[in-house]
Amino acid sequence: MATTAGYLARRAAQKERVRLLYRSALKDTLNWAVHRHLFYQDASDLRDKFETNRHVEDPDVIDRLIDDAEAQYRNFQHPDPYIVPWAPGGSKFTRNPPPPQGIEIIYNYGKEN
Amino acid sequence: MARWLVRPMSSHDAHLTRDEVVDRLVDVLKSHPKVDPSKVNPEAHFEKDLGLDSLDTVEVVMAIEEEFKLEIPDQEANKIDSLPLAVEYVANHPMAA
Repeated sequence: MATTAGYLARRAAQKERVRLLYRSALKDTLNWAVHRHLFYQDASDLRDKFETNRHVEDPDVIDRLIDDAEAQYRNFQHPDPYIVPWAPGGSKFTRNPPPPQGIEIIYNYGKEN
Repeated sequence: MARWLVRPMSSHDAHLTRDEVVDRLVDVLKSHPKVDPSKVNPEAHFEKDLGLDSLDTVEVVMAIEEEFKLEIPDQEANKIDSLPLAVEYVANHPMAA
């Protein structure tokens, strides 16, 4: 297969999709399998699934595999994922917002003169 | 181990020093099963020096997220390719613990 620029660009885009999918799937695995020994087992299973399709060359087949995997990921998402508290969606997000500008404490209120 | 004992109680005064960040990142990398511990130095590139895969890099970035209790957005996570970049990111993050 001639490695034209279009082919390489398509493969690079697919590589990005696979990275994103692996990252999301790994985080999701951590959401489901909280205990570390279970998580390591599930994470190595997930990695094996990605490894079996490592040497596929045809871009159409790769696209179909990625689409199937993304559909599987969407079906398997955890309903209550762990989000770091200060991140959007976490419990500490905007909990203590900085006060508005221009407000200051007047230390001798009522005793100015 | 003593750093857990002298941890400040407020979450906004506990700023990480760069040396601590580098030490912790090197520990994270050394404890990854696919990494050869003798090759890890503070200038290591994940794919070129340590021979990691792109999926392995994803795993390493996730280990870094867990170590420092960060949430790295996907755009930034794709760019973290080497240890110096990771040190830069973590040291400049306001919420790195």
